[in-house]
Amino acid sequence: MKRRGIVDFLFIFPTAFAFLMVIIVPFFMGIYYAMTDWDGVKTVLNWVGFKNFTGMFSEPQFIYSFQITLLYTVINIVLVNIAGFLMSLLATSRVKGRNFYRAGFFVPNLIGGIVLGYIWQFMFNNVFVDMGKAMGLAAFQTSFIARKETVIWAMSVVNTWQYAGYIMMIYVASIQSIPDSVMEAANVDGANYITRVFKIMMPMMASAFTITIFLTLTNSFKQFDLNATLTNGGPAMLYMGKAVRASQLLAMDIYRTANQFNLMAPAQAKAVVFFVVLVVFSLVQVYLNKRREVEA
Amino acid sequence: MRKFLSLALAAIFVLGLAIIPASAEEKVDFSVFQLKVEIDPMIQAFAKLYNEKHPGVNLTVETLGGGADYGGALKSKVSADAMPTIFMIEGIGGYDLWKDYIADMSDAEWVKDTDLAFYSPDGKVVGFPIAMEGFGLGYNAEILEKAGVDPATLTTFSAVKAAFEKIDGMKDELGLDSVTSVGTSIAGELWWVTSQHVFNAFYAGYMDYNDSTLYDNLRKGEVDTERLTAFANYLKLLYDYADQNVLQNGNYDAQVAAFANQKAAFITQGNWIDPNLKQLEANFKMGYVSHNFLEEESTGLYMAAPSWFVVNAKATPEQQKAAVDFLNYMALTEDGANYMVAEAGMVPAFKSVKLLPAGPFSSALVEASARGGNFNWRFGQNPDGFNQGTLGPIFELLATGTSVEDFVTLVTAAFEEIAVK
Repeated sequence: MKRRGIVDFLFIFPTAFAFLMVIIVPFFMGIYYAMTDWDGVKTVLNWVGFKNFTGMFSEPQFIYSFQITLLYTVINIVLVNIAGFLMSLLATSRVKGRNFYRAGFFVPNLIGGIVLGYIWQFMFNNVFVDMGKAMGLAAFQTSFIARKETVIWAMSVVNTWQYAGYIMMIYVASIQSIPDSVMEAANVDGANYITRVFKIMMPMMASAFTITIFLTLTNSFKQFDLNATLTNGGPAMLYMGKAVRASQLLAMDIYRTANQFNLMAPAQAKAVVFFVVLVVFSLVQVYLNKRREVEA
Repeated sequence: MRKFLSLALAAIFVLGLAIIPASAEEKVDFSVFQLKVEIDPMIQAFAKLYNEKHPGVNLTVETLGGGADYGGALKSKVSADAMPTIFMIEGIGGYDLWKDYIADMSDAEWVKDTDLAFYSPDGKVVGFPIAMEGFGLGYNAEILEKAGVDPATLTTFSAVKAAFEKIDGMKDELGLDSVTSVGTSIAGELWWVTSQHVFNAFYAGYMDYNDSTLYDNLRKGEVDTERLTAFANYLKLLYDYADQNVLQNGNYDAQVAAFANQKAAFITQGNWIDPNLKQLEANFKMGYVSHNFLEEESTGLYMAAPSWFVVNAKATPEQQKAAVDFLNYMALTEDGANYMVAEAGMVPAFKSVKLLPAGPFSSALVEASARGGNFNWRFGQNPDGFNQGTLGPIFELLATGTSVEDFVTLVTAAFEEIAVK
C-alpha cells in the first residue's frame, strides 16, 4: 500500500509540478507585480499598493473596452449559439448530405484566428468595398470595420462564422444522445417538429447548453487573436473627450498597456480585474444553467 | 511486475523533466536580434560571410517580422534568459528601459567614423547607428511634369495646396486615383506614417538641426497653438486629397502600391520604401519636397539615425568583445559597406563609406544631406506608447471627420497630460 502511494505521487508529480510552475506560481506573482512599479525589466521593485487598480477606472480607454467587451460577449453568446443550434438541427435532420454539412460547418474552426482575421480584413476592406462600388450600394462603400457603429458586429459575424461550427458539434452529440423513444412518443402524441424542438429536445439538451454558453462566454470575453488581426482595435472614436479605439476589447487593452505603453504593473492589475470578472460571470452562468438541467 | 513497470514509467516521466540539452561549443556564440524585416536576407548573408571569415565566433541573426512588437519580444527574451548579444533601441525611451543591459562602447573603433552615434545622458557612446533614414513628401516627378508642376516651387504651404488642386483637376488625364497616398489606419498598422513621421515636421520643421527648444517646451505642456493649427491644416490637406479607402483602411502595401503604380502623385513615406518600389518595378523619376505647413520657404528633409545597435552588458566579456568586433567590421570594412549600401540599400551613417545607395529616395537623401538645411527627428523622445496609443487614434479621427479645431484640442490635451512638471 505504501509503495502504491509513491507510484501515485510520481504519476501525479509531472502534471502537478507543471501546473504549479506555469499556473499557480505565476498567478500569485502576477497579483504581487500588480501592486508594484514593475516595468518588465527591472528587478528591484517598489510596493505601490492599490494605485494600479484605482488608476484604470479613470482611463477612458479601459472603461470603454470594458463596456464593449461585455456587449461583444452578449452578442456572441446569442449569435454563436443560435447559429450553432440551427446548424446542429440541420446536421442531424434527414436532409441529404448532412455529413457534408457537418464537416463544412466545422471547417472554419480549423483555421487559426490570425489567418482568419487577415482574410476577413481583406474581405471587409477590399472585397465588400469594391462590390459596393460596383453595385452602387452606399452601405458597402465604407468598410464595416472602419466604422465605429458596425465594427463590433463585423467582428461578431466573423467570430460566429468561425466558432458556431464547434458549438454545433457539441449540440449534435447532445441531440444524438436523446433516446429515439422519447422523440417517437412525442411524435405519436401529435407534437409537430417545432414543438418537439422546444418542448423535448431543448430541455433534454440542458447540459449541452451549460457547456456551450460557458464556452462562448469565456471565448468571446477573452477574444484577442481575431481582435488583433481583424481590426487591431481600430477605428478611432471619441469617448469621454478622448480619442479611444472603438473595437479594442479588454484582452487587447491589457496587451497594449503592457507592451506599447510599457506600463507592465498597471497592465497586470487590469489582468487581475479581468480574471476576477471572468470568474464571477462564468460561475454565475454555470450556476444558473445547472439549475435548469433535467436528469435524462 | 506490474508494480515495477508502473514505477519505472513514473520514473521516466520525472526524469524527462530533468533532461537539459547539453552543449559543447568552443566557439564564441553571439547573436543579433533585429527588427528590419526588409533587410533580413541581406543581414543573414552578411552574418554568414562574417562567420566564414571569423572561425572563432558563431553569429546568429534573428529578425522579428515587420510591424511586430519588438519591445515585447525583447522582454520575453529577457524573462526567458535568452537575451541577444546585440539588440536595437530606438531612442531615449528604449535606453531608459534597458540601460542596465546596455554596454559602454566609447572605445570602439567605429565611434570615430560617425556623427550619429547614440550617447547616453552621461555622455557615453552606447548606440551604433544602423543607418541614416529620412523622409519628406515624396513625389512622382513624371506625373508632376505632365501636370506642369515644378517640384522646386513646392516650398510653401500655399504652393503645395495650389499644386494639389491643380493635379486633382487633372486626375483623369494623368490616370490617378488620388493626389496623395497617405495612410493612418490603426487596423492597417499605418498609424506611424502621420502620428510619428509627418507630425515630426511640427516638432522639428523650420528649426536648426540641433535646436530642440520647441520640442522641449512642448514636453513642458506648452503647445504653440498657432503652429499646431497650421500643421493640422496641412495634415487635413494631405488627407483630403488621399484615396479615402487607403487612408482609413489601407496597410503599408496598399499605400506604397498606390504610389508605385502611379495611381497617386505624392506619398508620405521615407526612403525605406526603396526596396518595395524596386519590387513593384516603379522606374519613374521621384524625389522629395519638405513637409511645408507654413508660408516660410523650406526644402529641408527629416533625417536621422532612427535606431541603434547596442551591446548587451550582461553578456559574457567574450561575447561583448565579439559583438564590438562585428560592429567595427560592419562600419569600417569594404564587406560591411557593401552589405549596408549595395545589398541592404541603406544610407550609411559612416563617413568612410563611399558607396552611394541605388534607391531613388535614398539618393535623394544623400543629395539633401550634401545640400544641408535638414531637420532632426524628435518623435523618438516621446514616452513609450504615446505616438501609437495616444496620438495614433487622434490622427485617425482627423481622417474620419473630426474638425481641425477638435484635433488641435485633443493633441494639446494629450501633451498636457504627459507634461514633465
